[in-house]
Amino acid sequence: MSDTISRRNFLKLSGLSAAAAVLTGCGPAARYVTRRPYYEMPEYAVLGESTYFATTCIECPAGCGLIMRTFEGRAIKAEGNPAHPVNHGKLCSRGLTGVQGLYNPDRIQRPGKRARRGNPTLEPLDWDTALGVVREALNGAGAGVAFYLGLAPDHLYDLVLELTQAIGAPPPVRFGALGMFEARATLVEAVRQVFGEARFPYFDLAGADVVVSFGANFLETWLSPVAYTRGFSQFRRTDGKKRGYLISFEARRSLTSGVADEWLPVPPGTEGQVALALGSLLQSRGWKVPLGAGQVDVEASAAAAGISMERLEQLADRIARAEHPLFLPGGQALAHAGGLVAARNILLLNLAAGNMGRPGGIFLSPSRPDSGSLRDVQALIEQMRAGKVETLFIHGANPVFELPPALGFTEALANVPRVISFASFPDETALQSDYVLPDHTPLESWGYQRTLAGSDRMIFSSLQPVVVPLYDTRATADVLLSAGKLPYNDEVTFLQSKLATLLNEPGVTVEATEIATFWARYLQAGGWWTQQAGLTTPTNQPDLQVEMAQGAAAPEGQFRLITYPTHLGDGSGANRPWLQETPSPSTTVMWNTWVEVHPQLAEKLGLKDDDVVRVTSPSGSIEAVVYLFPAIRPDTVAIPFGQGHTALGRWAEGRGANPAVLLGAQLNEAGDLAYGDVLVTLSPTGRRRPLSRLESRAGVYGEH
Amino acid sequence: MAEQQETRERWGMVVDLDLCTGCNACVTACAMENNIPWVGEEEAGYGRNMFWIRVQRTWEGEYPEVSPAYQPVMCQQCGRAPCEPVCPVFATVHSEEEQINLQVYNRCIGTRYCANNCPYTARSFNWYDYTYQIPAPMNYYLNPNVTVRRRGVMEKCTFCVQRIRAGQEQAKAAGRTLQDGEVIPACAQACPADAIIFGDLSDPESRVSKAARSQRGTTLLEELGTQPKVTYLKGGGYYGG
Amino acid sequence: MKKTLPWWLRPWVRVTAGLIVLILLGGAVGGIYLTQTVPQQPIQFPHNFHVGAGIPCLYCHPGAQWGPVAGLPSTQKCWGCHQQVAKTKTSPELQKLVAYVEKGEGIPWVPVFIQPEFVHFNHRPHVAAGVACETCHGDMKKVTVAQPIPRQNMGWCLSCHAKQAPEKWTRLSDCSLCHY
Repeated sequence: MSDTISRRNFLKLSGLSAAAAVLTGCGPAARYVTRRPYYEMPEYAVLGESTYFATTCIECPAGCGLIMRTFEGRAIKAEGNPAHPVNHGKLCSRGLTGVQGLYNPDRIQRPGKRARRGNPTLEPLDWDTALGVVREALNGAGAGVAFYLGLAPDHLYDLVLELTQAIGAPPPVRFGALGMFEARATLVEAVRQVFGEARFPYFDLAGADVVVSFGANFLETWLSPVAYTRGFSQFRRTDGKKRGYLISFEARRSLTSGVADEWLPVPPGTEGQVALALGSLLQSRGWKVPLGAGQVDVEASAAAAGISMERLEQLADRIARAEHPLFLPGGQALAHAGGLVAARNILLLNLAAGNMGRPGGIFLSPSRPDSGSLRDVQALIEQMRAGKVETLFIHGANPVFELPPALGFTEALANVPRVISFASFPDETALQSDYVLPDHTPLESWGYQRTLAGSDRMIFSSLQPVVVPLYDTRATADVLLSAGKLPYNDEVTFLQSKLATLLNEPGVTVEATEIATFWARYLQAGGWWTQQAGLTTPTNQPDLQVEMAQGAAAPEGQFRLITYPTHLGDGSGANRPWLQETPSPSTTVMWNTWVEVHPQLAEKLGLKDDDVVRVTSPSGSIEAVVYLFPAIRPDTVAIPFGQGHTALGRWAEGRGANPAVLLGAQLNEAGDLAYGDVLVTLSPTGRRRPLSRLESRAGVYGEH
Repeated sequence: MAEQQETRERWGMVVDLDLCTGCNACVTACAMENNIPWVGEEEAGYGRNMFWIRVQRTWEGEYPEVSPAYQPVMCQQCGRAPCEPVCPVFATVHSEEEQINLQVYNRCIGTRYCANNCPYTARSFNWYDYTYQIPAPMNYYLNPNVTVRRRGVMEKCTFCVQRIRAGQEQAKAAGRTLQDGEVIPACAQACPADAIIFGDLSDPESRVSKAARSQRGTTLLEELGTQPKVTYLKGGGYYGG
Repeated sequence: MKKTLPWWLRPWVRVTAGLIVLILLGGAVGGIYLTQTVPQQPIQFPHNFHVGAGIPCLYCHPGAQWGPVAGLPSTQKCWGCHQQVAKTKTSPELQKLVAYVEKGEGIPWVPVFIQPEFVHFNHRPHVAAGVACETCHGDMKKVTVAQPIPRQNMGWCLSCHAKQAPEKWTRLSDCSLCHY
């Protein structure tokens, strides 16, 4: 009986609530929506039509041109700028999800002060007080002020450089995970040694017919992935020319090696030896390779790299037959103890091929690279540890997450009395800062960005706000200028004074004789660049010789570790849900960290797909999920970088693991992290955690 | 104003697998254009991703000669579509006008018959109100030209029909016909390798028609007689070199 | 021994069931009624007066001639005329406009001619084809605040599309014309 009653009561109640839902849900409030039209309609606005703004993507340091579609004051979609010399209207996943950064619900919305570092709550601060803090910090002893900036070659770097000079502080340290994985300092140093100028090289893939990549993942993250993918597309096309042939030396079949015509899985660290062996073989085919005095043992090099002599001879034949062979020194080949030698060897092969400044060859970017090495970061950490840094300003980087903990950045931070972060998102570094003075996100900002590595010409790419800033944030340039140390009123004055040097430059897209017109056209076009392609032709032919590089096999029971950045970039992409959901191209895994293990190795260790495994290096250990990856050397394992956040908002936090823990602090000769020399062991934990992957779905609804 | 003479386009696509690097930019571009929600790790584990285009990765060969083959697969916009006859409510219908398959969201009642009958598994189903769960203000970027789908509705690639409509509208307003390359779906627009070509197959001179006539051209599961509008150009260096 | 009725025959069960049905029906009727009521507007805008004064529709809703939405006038557009109109100072309704102008805000109008979000309508082709505004929006000379016109559904759209030239029917009846 009581059953019936409760059931009836339930029915009655649900009936009532349904009626209530119907009554409230169908009112005019549900059917009609209030529209608040403009108070005064801007001249450019057309009712019901989108408005497009040209700006620049600064999700990574490459600087692709964007055309942002906006609608009624909201940013809707990022599209490439078809006229921009870097990306010609194309974009990568990171750039496309820029709006998920702008509209991220976890953004820092107003300036704040932290009572205790590590405490996630920020006490709100008004901007006047915040500016007072900055002014006080900059008025103090100049030498006690330090700046840590991201890799973007933007106006903020130029401004901070001037500022540090004005107050007598050391120049800003620039570093980022992408630069770390590309071993940028090694690349630039090798270019300096071979060509005499410290510059970023630009490789003209489009004009080459055989490209030999030494661990350069140029289709995914290397230097300027969209520009290089475009170049690759030209290289592969057969309209009136031969199809380009890509040879890749890399221990793991990355996206780039995946589309290579020949993939040679050499042990990490032997790339320099391969270059040497190739050089020797090419010399016997009539090339002028500056071989060292000592006898080059081609067979020993080939054996170390695990390539048969026959195969190597075939490769040398193919390269010798090519009209425009091109050799790319990628991060995987450079981030070793012998990385600088490897980089030099590879560049010397380009020199021997006569690639300097010819189509399908190598050019040098006219802008100074100004990027720091890990050695500079180490020096800063030393200063911090010694208590010599009173105020540390951090912008555009997340060193607490990106740097290997073995460097001791976080511990050294404890000795810095005042840490001021300009982060837009509550990342790990902002969490360890005393003050967070949020900058506008890129889509709300003014600025320019010089292009360093992805274009055949000189570019000042423009940034302009495509929407009104959402929150009570302020441009970092304005915050720094408010201290009155530099003769500029605000950010735009600074930008215009810098751009004024471009007035009346010959052969430019934006031609104007005074700055107001220049500024308007510059913003509309998406930047300033020369009409004609033109980069510096490297000429210097120093008395350098191809040398034997180091490289050794991993001891039994230990495996070489490859850590590589994905479309999450330097890890800042982890708070974009659509970047998390976009599958990793070669594994199709989403939303997590995995360890790529060759099936043979997995069998030997008794590991299966989805097993949780503990990866231990001398520096630390992490847990991640095993992914059986058929295209990796069985003595090598790989872990993608970018996950494992302990902060950075709801989509990033507590997801996956951060392989930076494993990387240690060994540097190579050029001051880059020798992360390629890290050895790890794997031990099963006995637990399993299925990875979400797309591949289980193709065909039928998956079994997971 | 006099309307232009009615023209009938036959939209088609060519994907050059030799140029495709598998980078997944098309997947993200499609999601951002078409208000496709993310589903999160757990739902993704159940295979409930809402991709309208996915990049299939298959392995060929044995180590060290193992090699991945990437293939972006979206709705093939079949001429004789297996999804259409099974829909009990005519939510999946053929557009005589655009020669593509349409999904009419307001008709769909979620039987999922169409997805079961699609040989390309190109359709995805809203198991929950994924889009409505997007926290504010992230919903600000939703494209006003594309319907936000609710729970229980099937959806799939539309060849960015909103862009086709906008292009046709613009051309008509200007009193001219559509030019080749004027309408590009989001995937082709973003593709860094320019491996996706979109256009009018009824115009023999269009870029897509020329590409579709390539000797490398093939269509997916053509033996089923579905008459797909997407042609794949075989890659892997089987030619030229 | 009293014989118990099966539960569904007991009078109070039936009364309760009847009540539930009534409540549901009432709710549905009430809900449908409410959807048809006219929403409150911030200003009781007299369309009849403005149209009667000879102001063309497209002066305030210019979007109709070039794009999908006709649009609502900006506060400054209202003010452009009204700052010269003597009545602006005296009429209490117009004082509301003055308030919006002083605050520098847009007026939060509630559009009444709306379609669900899965319908994509475009004014331009209709205006270009010579469809008069009043064909769909009624005679604005006769209404003050804009009134929604009921049953502007797909059948209503198609009834007009069907009257066009037969060669246009394929296009004008295509689902993707409005639904995408």
